[in-house]
Amino acid sequence: MRDVTQLGFGLGLRPQHYPAILDGDRTTAARVDWFEIISENYMVAGGRPLANLMAVRARYPMVMHGVSLSIGSTDPLDRAYLDDLKALAARVEPAIVSDHLCWTGVAGLNMHDLLPLPLTEEALGHVCGRIGQVQDHLGREIAIENASTYVTFAESTIPEWEFMAEMARRSGCRLLLDVNNVYVSAFNHGFAAETYIESIPPELVAYVHLAGHEDNRTYIIDTHDHPVVDGVWDLYAHAVRRFGPVATMIERDDKIPLFAELAEELARARRIAEAAAGPDQEVA
Amino acid sequence: MPLAEMERLFQDGLLGSSREILSHVNGNAREDAGAMFGVYRNAYWARLVESLAVDLPGLKALAGDAAFDHLARAYVARHPSTTRSIRWAGRLLPQFLAREAPYRDDPWLTDMARFDWALAHAFDAADAPVIGVAQLAAIPPELWGGVTLVLHPTLDCFAVSTPVDVVRPLLLADPRAAFDRDRRRDGGLMVWRIGDDLKFRAIDPLEQDALAAARAGASFGEICETIAARVEAEAAAMRAAGFLRGWLEWGIVQDIGHDAPGSA
Repeated sequence: MRDVTQLGFGLGLRPQHYPAILDGDRTTAARVDWFEIISENYMVAGGRPLANLMAVRARYPMVMHGVSLSIGSTDPLDRAYLDDLKALAARVEPAIVSDHLCWTGVAGLNMHDLLPLPLTEEALGHVCGRIGQVQDHLGREIAIENASTYVTFAESTIPEWEFMAEMARRSGCRLLLDVNNVYVSAFNHGFAAETYIESIPPELVAYVHLAGHEDNRTYIIDTHDHPVVDGVWDLYAHAVRRFGPVATMIERDDKIPLFAELAEELARARRIAEAAAGPDQEVA
Repeated sequence: MPLAEMERLFQDGLLGSSREILSHVNGNAREDAGAMFGVYRNAYWARLVESLAVDLPGLKALAGDAAFDHLARAYVARHPSTTRSIRWAGRLLPQFLAREAPYRDDPWLTDMARFDWALAHAFDAADAPVIGVAQLAAIPPELWGGVTLVLHPTLDCFAVSTPVDVVRPLLLADPRAAFDRDRRRDGGLMVWRIGDDLKFRAIDPLEQDALAAARAGASFGEICETIAARVEAEAAAMRAAGFLRGWLEWGIVQDIGHDAPGSA
């Protein structure tokens, strides 16, 4: 299996696009190298979702991306969830399994959101310990993504980019760098997005996310319902100059356009990466 | 403050039971902590209401947008989600509507929620083969009394008091469609899936009870006894056999269990 960094350019797999992917114009389908799935959407017993998933998997490499690992929660890890995640990974054989630096609930409740952590030594140790447990349970390395955040904690003592890098070094996980999330959090909290990118060691990055967002002027929300904005494209160019050729995908979860339209947006990522690599370089 | 305590305060803030988290989080140069924490708080409620609307489209069409939003928020307040996937967050909504005032006074709401939920369950429940009438015919008649049924994993069956199966398609096509709100129909609904096709069928109270007994593991003989308590004894076996034939023909029976001839 190819290393995840070499997958090329992908999209999030969404049910609206099954016909275009499986039965549509092959030239358009060929513009996408791989798909990322939301793991929880396929942790079901049967039916059309699994059948469509495996039909797409027969043609494309995949990455599994989850939203329920809750790696930062102080509740115990959900072993049943990990069992189901492992079973799905055995079926899909993804290039990597990823989730977010966040927590989703405590006291047995689930807020169904990617909630922020205070960036402290205590949280770092807690998260690293749980990543180790998850990687042992799954028998594979995972990647952890930087989430968009809307508040910071007065108790935080570690910049997020240092937290992410140290988390990967200590736990042995890799990083899923969401360039849009860096852009969103930088605006919301007033730090320089370029500083974040420049602080991430390239060898730790497994793959990159791009997405659109909702700009409310005084803050930005990571909504995945718009095209990628120019400022994020510029930051992506900065990232690929630093990281070199690295697998990249675009997330779109609402106001989902035609498959061909997303494939065209993805082509822009490919052009930016090729330009960053230089005139004689081929990207992934 | 320990991480566990901070997370508890944060969650209490989302649920609205405390504002103490606001003294531990920062906003930014443009918005204060309350406004920025509100992004999370608003998203919590909006995301769950939106998910319930996706999973229960018939209920939303029946109630109307504003009433649905109100009942969904009341439900989320009473039953914060404990499921790992938001897809299952509405699993207690039919019971909530059946028990809570003022919703319990309108049986259409409970029936529609139950119907929506059964369709959602059948959509991605486990796939399994089905057997037909021929497999039953291969069993000697003298052994039928001990026959038990393994029903299809996509099957759900439940009691209703309204013809919700008739009204749901009308409302999905046009949420303003008129229907007789006073109309009642006792019995049950069975919902299942064959391949990619979702199926449903209204059944009378007798068949509803018989199918409920079969789901609980009753043998064919025990199902006949259940029916015999409600109809003439001579007719009971005929009715039970008719039900069984129908279930086999509709594709809701995965397997038949019975004692082999000569077994103890």
